[in-house]
Amino acid sequence: MDITEQTPPTPKYWMSLEQWRQDPDFKKFAESEFRTSPMQEGDSEDGWARREFLKLMGASLALTSFGCVRRPAQKIIPYAKQPAHLVHGIADHYASSYVDGLEGFGVLITTRDGRPIKVEGNPDHPGHEGGMSARAHAHILRLYDPDRNTSAKRNLQNDKRTNRETIGIAWEKLDEEVSAQLKKGKVAVLTNTLMSPSTRKLVNEFTTGFSAKHYVYDDIGFESIIEGQQRAYGQASLPRLRVDRARYILSVNCDFLGTWLTPTTFQRQFAKGRKASAEMNKLVVVEPLMTLTGSNADERHRIRPSQTLDVLMALLHELLVVKKHSSYASNSGVLQAIAPFSKSKTDLAIPVAEIAQSLWNNRGQSLVLAGGLSAGTENSAAIQMALNLLNSVLENEGKTIEAGGAAVLGSAQAGAAGFNELLNALNKKEVTTLIIHGCNPMYSAPRTAKFVEALGNLEVIIYTGDRNDETGRLADYVATDHHSMENWGDLEAFGGVLSIQQPTIRPLHDTRAFQDGLLNWLRAAEKGSARVKNSATWYDYLRSNWQEEFYPANRGGKSFEEFWTDLLQKGVVQVSRSGGASRSLATASLSGVKSSARNSGFELALYSTVGLGDGQLANVSWLQEFPDPVSKICWDNYASFSLKDAKQLNLKEGQFVKLMVGESSLEVPAHIQPGQADGVIGLAVGYGREGAGEIAKGVGVNAFALSQWKGGERITAGLETKVTVLARNNTFACTQDHHSMEGRQIVVEETLKDHLKNPGGQVHRHKMTTMWAEHKYTGNKWGMVIDLNTCNGCGACVIACQSENNIPAVGKKYVISGREMHWIRVDRYYTGDPENPGVVNQPLPCMHCDNAPCETVCPVAATVHSDEGTNDMIYNRCVGTRYCANNCPYKVRRFNWFNYTQLKAPLNLALNPEVTQRFRGVMEKCTFCIHRIRDKKSNAKLLDQALKDGDVKTACQQSCPTQAITFGDVNNANSAVAKAYQQPQSYILLEELNTKPAVRYQVKVRNTAELKGGSPHHGDSHQKEGQHV
Amino acid sequence: MIRRNPLILGHKTYETITKDICGLVERMPGPSFFAGLAGAQFLLFIFLFAQGMIVWYGMGMMGVNHPVGWGTDIITFVFWIGIGHAGTLISAILFLFRQKWRTSIARSAEAMTVFAVMTAGLFPILHTGRPWLGYWLLPYPNQRGPLWVNFRSPLVWDVFAVSTYATVSAVFWYIGMVPDLATIRDRAQNKWRKRIYGALSLGWRGTARNWNHYETVYMLLCGLSTPLVLSVHSIVSFDFAVATLPGWHTTIFPPYFVAGAIFSGFAMVITLMAIIRELVPVFKDYITLDHMEAMNKIIMTTGLMVGYAYGSEFFIAWYSGVEYEKFIFLNRAFGPYGWSYWIMVTCNVVIPQLFWFRYFRRNIPWMFVISIFVNIGMWFERFVITVTSLHRDFLPSNWGMWIPTFYDFAALFGSFGLFFTLFLIYIRLLPAISIAEVKPVLGVGRDGGKHGHH
Amino acid sequence: MDIIDRVIQSLRPKGKAGIAGIWDDEHVLVDAARQVRASGFKKFEAITPFPVHGIDDAMGIPFSWIPWVTFIFGLLGFSFGVWFTWWTSAVDWPLIIGGKPMWSLPAFIPVIFECTILFGALSSVGALIYVCGLPQVEPPIIDPTLTSHRFALFIPEDDHGFNATAVEKMLKDLGAAEVKRTEF
Repeated sequence: MDITEQTPPTPKYWMSLEQWRQDPDFKKFAESEFRTSPMQEGDSEDGWARREFLKLMGASLALTSFGCVRRPAQKIIPYAKQPAHLVHGIADHYASSYVDGLEGFGVLITTRDGRPIKVEGNPDHPGHEGGMSARAHAHILRLYDPDRNTSAKRNLQNDKRTNRETIGIAWEKLDEEVSAQLKKGKVAVLTNTLMSPSTRKLVNEFTTGFSAKHYVYDDIGFESIIEGQQRAYGQASLPRLRVDRARYILSVNCDFLGTWLTPTTFQRQFAKGRKASAEMNKLVVVEPLMTLTGSNADERHRIRPSQTLDVLMALLHELLVVKKHSSYASNSGVLQAIAPFSKSKTDLAIPVAEIAQSLWNNRGQSLVLAGGLSAGTENSAAIQMALNLLNSVLENEGKTIEAGGAAVLGSAQAGAAGFNELLNALNKKEVTTLIIHGCNPMYSAPRTAKFVEALGNLEVIIYTGDRNDETGRLADYVATDHHSMENWGDLEAFGGVLSIQQPTIRPLHDTRAFQDGLLNWLRAAEKGSARVKNSATWYDYLRSNWQEEFYPANRGGKSFEEFWTDLLQKGVVQVSRSGGASRSLATASLSGVKSSARNSGFELALYSTVGLGDGQLANVSWLQEFPDPVSKICWDNYASFSLKDAKQLNLKEGQFVKLMVGESSLEVPAHIQPGQADGVIGLAVGYGREGAGEIAKGVGVNAFALSQWKGGERITAGLETKVTVLARNNTFACTQDHHSMEGRQIVVEETLKDHLKNPGGQVHRHKMTTMWAEHKYTGNKWGMVIDLNTCNGCGACVIACQSENNIPAVGKKYVISGREMHWIRVDRYYTGDPENPGVVNQPLPCMHCDNAPCETVCPVAATVHSDEGTNDMIYNRCVGTRYCANNCPYKVRRFNWFNYTQLKAPLNLALNPEVTQRFRGVMEKCTFCIHRIRDKKSNAKLLDQALKDGDVKTACQQSCPTQAITFGDVNNANSAVAKAYQQPQSYILLEELNTKPAVRYQVKVRNTAELKGGSPHHGDSHQKEGQHV
Repeated sequence: MIRRNPLILGHKTYETITKDICGLVERMPGPSFFAGLAGAQFLLFIFLFAQGMIVWYGMGMMGVNHPVGWGTDIITFVFWIGIGHAGTLISAILFLFRQKWRTSIARSAEAMTVFAVMTAGLFPILHTGRPWLGYWLLPYPNQRGPLWVNFRSPLVWDVFAVSTYATVSAVFWYIGMVPDLATIRDRAQNKWRKRIYGALSLGWRGTARNWNHYETVYMLLCGLSTPLVLSVHSIVSFDFAVATLPGWHTTIFPPYFVAGAIFSGFAMVITLMAIIRELVPVFKDYITLDHMEAMNKIIMTTGLMVGYAYGSEFFIAWYSGVEYEKFIFLNRAFGPYGWSYWIMVTCNVVIPQLFWFRYFRRNIPWMFVISIFVNIGMWFERFVITVTSLHRDFLPSNWGMWIPTFYDFAALFGSFGLFFTLFLIYIRLLPAISIAEVKPVLGVGRDGGKHGHH
Repeated sequence: MDIIDRVIQSLRPKGKAGIAGIWDDEHVLVDAARQVRASGFKKFEAITPFPVHGIDDAMGIPFSWIPWVTFIFGLLGFSFGVWFTWWTSAVDWPLIIGGKPMWSLPAFIPVIFECTILFGALSSVGALIYVCGLPQVEPPIIDPTLTSHRFALFIPEDDHGFNATAVEKMLKDLGAAEVKRTEF
């Protein structure tokens, strides 16, 4: 937490008259004193721990010592804790925010002794309600990324910008040179979509100040949605979707549960409607690739990306022309627009009429979704128009869809233009100085956009990324930005849902906030509003912006201090915003929509993965080793083919293929993906990063290289592709080699009908007897229930666990040889016809069996049962016979094959001191977050209270966006978990082994007539269920 | 008494027997011996190098992984322990059955036992993640509580069984050697040899009263070793049988493992004896074709036993109706590791059938080759049990493959280096045939032999 | 070197003086032993390269008592096994392992069994070494061939009614190939 860097204009407490008079010498002295703080010196590996200690001493001192001269000019308030109580070794949680693409999170950052060690969701956030995505968890590693720039950089470019010489540069020098350059005018600012209202305001001031232009570009953008909204409703903003209100959800080529827009929020909302009951929602997915959304579908159909529009139009045609539903049926303009699609229905292998009917029956509580990279065809905008109309026809507007999602490009960003405009401006030499922030166009822009060439006309490029990556290398200055955990900020995740971003650690390196840069440059040029002049730092600017922008309307009788303190503590605040009112659709928007040309050959569909997204976090080992929720492959991207196509091309898994789109081509290993549409090739973006760091180096290929630039927009799907099969082979690091349940009772599925009649009726139960009296657990007895029905397999729990428990990543080579270390894994099985299979997921932590087979066989009693029913692993007793792992029927135990405790500084700062580091040669596994149990228990003891149900949350449970995991004391009859134990849909995995696990599962319910794989008949091991793909 | 071939050929007297056997110790070995020793020591060096690397960098150097937590080390451990059974069996059980022909092979068979158990004993320690803490498996008062061991764990049973077995068979072997060492001492011309062997012989003088106690103790040790030798491999089989794993969790394992152990043990004895007969021609009079044939008969019998075990495993898997069990056995024979199963069946069940024919039973080159095959087969039996059961168990999501690395091969072949180094040294330094035991049976099967009245 | 010699010398047991007869055939030896015993000698000893049948009753050597040692120590080992497994896992530090009872007897049987065998075997060997008075440092021997192919009877001077000339004569009469005054 950066408390001392800036001294306030007039400190409330002063030590001397010099200080009071703002004597410059005193200021220099004071600052210099803090300048030489441990964090600023060159960093040697061994030095870290000591510096940590010094830093946290300073930090805690500053926090606790009110009235002392070093009293922080900027207070940051621990979440629901008084700073006066800050104690060494006790973790504090600070409310903050994190933005990933266009997904905004309210987060709680756990800091131990002044260093962030874990990111958790803020339960108060109305969007994701405490749920977290894998990436949001993992972004903490970017803070400690050894490959980050440690200072501002000056890249000595030649006119081709191919020179790779880099030198450090002092911030003062940089400001000097940049200011000089800015004086020349012709400035442009290129940023990602700014979710921070205050930053938006500041950028506005900057652009007006320098009469510069503001362009917006996202590596994975949603321009088409915004354009659609603009043209349909005249609002250039994202809609706010209420999946939780929808009973019938149709996703047309839209991975809204995995990667589209705000998946974590959607997962939460979807799960709410997923509780098995008569009201349970139904998810129908029509998609080209097997996505996380598709794997959760009750009903799934396959199309080519180019057919996305046709599906929507066919539905409209069915509803308006055939069935003559709704008032739009009499709208000639609309009918005209639909007319060309009268045939579509027949070309599509989809029960259009059926779906249309169900949509209509559920009108007002249905929801149709479309879009995303894999729908980024040439008529992606048209898709959005059609979509808007369809939802309006179904009377969902204002019910399941509202105005005012994130106010992207809204008033705050008025006048901002898109990437295309920038290209034109560059080519017309209208820009000489370009400031790039928050995006990596050099990586993600299509080669055919000729962006690099256009840059040739520039004099100076200033990049605010944190490393010399694709874009950084072409910049003249890299004004290295803070990591979000080192910086102040705010965030508007949805219209009116604002959250604050507090720094939780003093900047590790000599970096500077992008916003401070803008302020400095504005001040140097004596431009900008009074606020700019009065703000010594970005913090002041932010604070005063809040004071003037949001406080007045939402003061609620509080003084601003109180309001601010309150905000910092809660982290989230709902402010009144216009929007949410019902909107009327401009039907004209639909005119001129036409079907895209049929592709005879292969169609390429780019998509982003749950693990890497846009690739910003590519240098985070956790995410590289995060098994894809569907393919279970990590450390690679791949061209996925359908089974039929693979057979025709005679492709083997891992065999390299050459993909040619127009001029551009890539060589990628092929993966055969069940459920993928024939004639479609899937390829993930986010890989093939250059200059991102040691971890990301050489992992996968950059799929954006195949995207095309047509008509001012980026085409990422429906691209006609030539495929050449090569002789080379690649071995995938796949954490699951077998994909069928072999007819065993592992994940039990039930249709909603059966379930309502007889919940858990499909479970084959066993009567188990015992030879001796069982142990009595009198105190707490910890247990867990995992609801497979709400679990969607997103894998956030895996990363949450990894972050909480200091679990190492082992790298591709060792994942291949089966040495991955995840304590909780998500098993994924295919059921039914491999061409278009059903998919079930099963998170598998340690089962903590009462009759634990692992304990019996350990010769040195290194794994024994606690009197609270947990199966404990005592690392320092373990000699590493691995017998326990062999004897574990669930195979949840992990062995330290090598010494994984060696971390490259400062990565070691991310370690959780509550959890032991495991040395080479010992076994490890899920502990039920025993340290959290202990913490809460001792807390309760200190406060002399009884432990309440829900006090103890395991890391996986806490992060689960769908709250599928229930944990607690099963001896407490009123605890949620004890109740869940008793529910008829609960069952025990491998019950017949009589291991008596403390973890139980609840059956998966599908809202369909019958199940893909049929109901598995226990005991018949040779019923064909899917195949070994 | 039924007529039978003499146990010892050539017209030996007590004196010539002494000369023949002690001669080997008293003579300077020839180049062929040193060549063999060098070869063995090269393998031993590889073994030491590989194990050094593994201990230094971690078990990850070998092929073991998740889900296959046990690989070459455990397989080879069971392999050597199995081999280590023939010796005690020959000396103890055949003694109790009054099988006089045992006398001329007992000594070397016991030596083989001791060395095989020594070799085997290394692996359970070396296969752990932290071998330097191997002693934690021993229940001794310590500063960790004291934390005792978990007596429910088959690995602790192993520690007790294997160490007991090693101790008892070593003592048995040594006690058997004491009178012979005295013989060498008394023949010794060289002062130092006299002293060293004198010390080794504990000053044995062979008085009638000592012999009386000596024979009693020898019989007692036989009586104790017999249940011991049966228990050891039963307990080793518990390592698997006690586990929950399909393919391991079977009650047939103890007898099946014991039969397998005798099977492989005798095969190894045949291998060694064939070699010794070549290295030391005079021993052909003591280790006669009749001896070899007798052992081949045992190999054939035990081979049939393991064959039966293989069959019954399949039957029970089907009969039990346990889906996992059924799957694992189909997977053994027809899964990705099916080849190893068929190697096992061929070497252990098919090839030994040749011993139905007298020709193969009495033809040294043939029995040598067959015995090698049996040993290969028995290694693969343990491979099949360990790896193919582990690599596909209950939850298909865990299924995986085990691929050996250089270090796996080094550990396996290197262990032979250790064994043969010890054995070759033994041959030249200690009486390779039990002098005091051979003499009483000198007359057996001789016409009008003056000693023929036993 | 001579230090070692001296050490050995100091450790060497003093042999008893007496008269030894040496035979080439163990059967003659057995008959001879019977005669010597009949003529009233008690402390005489027979030395043979291997256990000779019938010598025991010829010399009136009783059956060895070592089996009792084995039995008692075996029993001791058994009880130790039972007690130790029980005390460590149920009393000293009971741990909940695999949901099994603290004292899971069936699981302890292998250990108990091994203890029994180990105690029995080692005690027997110990007893043997003790009763044979081993180890001895270079004890006096009558003739090196006695561990190879010849057999001897030795009558110590202190034996009841020992008369050198008579004994020598008797041994010669009993067919000894060689008779000599010696130490043993």
